[in-house]
Amino acid sequence: MASTTSRRNFLRGSTAAALAVTAGGALASCAGSVNENKGTGGGGKGGTTTIKLMANENEFAPELIKAFETAHPDIKVEVLVYDDTRLNAMLSGGDAPDLVRGTGATITPYIAKSGMAAPLDDYFAKSKVLKADDLAPVNDVWRFDGTKQGAGPRYGMAKDYSQDNTFWYNTKVFEAAGAKLPSATEPLTYDALLELGQKLTKRSGGKIKTYGLDLFGVSIFPKLMTMVSSAGGTVFAENLESVDFSTAEARDALGYYLEFARADVGASVIAPAPEAGTAPLFKADRYGILSAGYWLGGALYADKVADHIGFAPAPQFGSTRVSPCFGATGLWIPEKSSHKDAAWTFFEWFMGGEQAKARATSGWGLPALKSLEGELPSAKPAQKQAKEVQTAELAHFSTLTFSPYAKVDALEAALQQQLTVALKDKHSTGKLADALNDKVNKLLQQGVELTK
Amino acid sequence: MSVQTEARPVAVAAAPKPPPRKRWSRYRSRTFYAFVAPWLIGFLALTVVPMLYALRMSFTNTNGISDKARWVGIDNYVEALHDADVLHSLYRTGLFTLTVVPLTVLGSVLLALLVNQPIRGKGFFRTLFYLPAIVPGVAAALTWKLIFDKDAGPANGVMELLGLDPVTWLQDPAVSYVLLSLMLWGIGGGMLVSLAGLQDIPKELLEAARVDGAGKLRVFWHVTVPLLSPILLFQVVTGVINALQIIAQPMLLAPSAGGVVSAAKVSPDTNMYMVHVYAQYFTFGRWGYGSALLWLLFVVVLVITFLVMRLGRRVVFYNVDPDSQGEKG
Repeated sequence: MASTTSRRNFLRGSTAAALAVTAGGALASCAGSVNENKGTGGGGKGGTTTIKLMANENEFAPELIKAFETAHPDIKVEVLVYDDTRLNAMLSGGDAPDLVRGTGATITPYIAKSGMAAPLDDYFAKSKVLKADDLAPVNDVWRFDGTKQGAGPRYGMAKDYSQDNTFWYNTKVFEAAGAKLPSATEPLTYDALLELGQKLTKRSGGKIKTYGLDLFGVSIFPKLMTMVSSAGGTVFAENLESVDFSTAEARDALGYYLEFARADVGASVIAPAPEAGTAPLFKADRYGILSAGYWLGGALYADKVADHIGFAPAPQFGSTRVSPCFGATGLWIPEKSSHKDAAWTFFEWFMGGEQAKARATSGWGLPALKSLEGELPSAKPAQKQAKEVQTAELAHFSTLTFSPYAKVDALEAALQQQLTVALKDKHSTGKLADALNDKVNKLLQQGVELTK
Repeated sequence: MSVQTEARPVAVAAAPKPPPRKRWSRYRSRTFYAFVAPWLIGFLALTVVPMLYALRMSFTNTNGISDKARWVGIDNYVEALHDADVLHSLYRTGLFTLTVVPLTVLGSVLLALLVNQPIRGKGFFRTLFYLPAIVPGVAAALTWKLIFDKDAGPANGVMELLGLDPVTWLQDPAVSYVLLSLMLWGIGGGMLVSLAGLQDIPKELLEAARVDGAGKLRVFWHVTVPLLSPILLFQVVTGVINALQIIAQPMLLAPSAGGVVSAAKVSPDTNMYMVHVYAQYFTFGRWGYGSALLWLLFVVVLVITFLVMRLGRRVVFYNVDPDSQGEKG
């Protein structure tokens, strides 16, 4: 029985130990899930249920969480910082969060088709706070029936929203350039907007001192979809399994983007915005036009720039006036959540009642409940002007349908990569469209394979 | 006699004692394995197991979430070898490696030679040259971004003072030079290694060469370089491996939205292989394909390292026979 330590024995032992460590980790995480499941239905320690809320940093202030826990002492909320990779790991590891933030306008088909999100119709039907006839039309972006966004089961709800293709302008920059202010009722054409951007841009020694136009922001894909939709076309095929950028409408929209980027009048894929974004430059009277929804007002009203700003309707690319929402940021409940009832309690508390009213009066977005539409701030002239423009803009609200087979972030990334290459290598619009069809359809094809 | 006869059975009943040499050998062996065990367990759990897991994934079309992933055989590998983006990123990475490794190794040796001179304040200069190497990479890259900002950066401010047109430094093609300068900024680490190598060279050898009439250049080429060659080989091998796996710096130099960096926003000229792999995983959700790309890189790194080591056998001079070291102790 004398113990001998041979190299082979040692390696065998180490391998076993390593596997035990790895398996132990996995088992530990499973054990964690099992223990947590025991708490479902209020059976946890002391009769409390802890729900995991995954949101962006600082999105849910500790005071807000405390207010909820005071109102609902049987539920504790643990806030996790949102991270795609972490969410995937938690969902596939059987340790799903109970509430997740998301931009309903772009993610709903994906989280619905992949089975990640739970349908909430039963909860809405029973709710005394969130009544179906009080839900603003924007909440329909959180619906998906398998082929169309805007119909079918509800998978979430917006906390507030904006029609994100509208824009804000700085009147001081306009005055300095001797440019006419945009109409509050009639939309500008994209060509007129670019012309305006060129007029507002001031250069010195090759460097830009005042930028004219931030038209596409950080999400180009939804904006291109809007342009194509305005021109009467669609980017996605009817079954949402592929894209076609080679249609006349899509090529026109791509061509416009290339022209816009080459004009160098504001942020683009080849001239990115500064780290802090374009809003600080707008506040410093160094940006003429920022394409952003009503929500941006919340960041502007308290600043000195508020006395020389204006809000304008979404520009029009084709013959139809469309003004969609690209965000509709809200919450959804994962299908694998172990605490759906408790999660819904938080959902209902946050989306309705006092919390919703407080958001509506802040000016940081439009209320997602019809009953709160009159609560928008209008004390300052800028707030009053924005409210008037926004009220008229509601008539042109439309819902874009995204594909359930790929995350919009992936499509956005593919688009930006190809736009960069096209601008760098001076590709034609047709070549760009072909490259996009190739790249994006490959992503969608994988999604189709993994979903069906 | 009788005393001796009685004593013998007692000795036979007890377990036979191994000779002292064997016990010592077993003690040494156990101690050795006890010391290496934590590393080996970590290596197996955190390297071997994940690598095998990635190998398995590379034969599937998984996106990390779906339970409908299927076996695709070697499709991912075949696609990778025909993917123009992969070949482009591999080409850029190869070019980057061929540029940055010689420059950093040469630069670090030259700096080491400089601060090895018997001059006043050499400690100050050694510290000064080494300091950038201890600045965190993220901080250095973000500083670079501020310096090379097109409209507000001091680099273009200097260009303007000189009457030159401003350059869009952080976009193609200039961003390659910005990345290169960022890499060279940290050569203080290599300098320290080279300095240690230089100080290890026996002075008698240098003096003997000089006595024999060799000039400074000849002494350097025929005495210093051969004796420094193991250090140079080490720097080349680690430099090549690091350069082939570069990912953080190109991503940090790319535009970010609200502090969030995206592999997809890296300029084509600095879109290195690992950036492309990262994008496949975390931007496009192609975990199977990304895993195949990782295994391809692993094979490439293995082959290049093998070739460098083989080449090293011919050109590296070991002052002491490395094979005899184990036997001595």
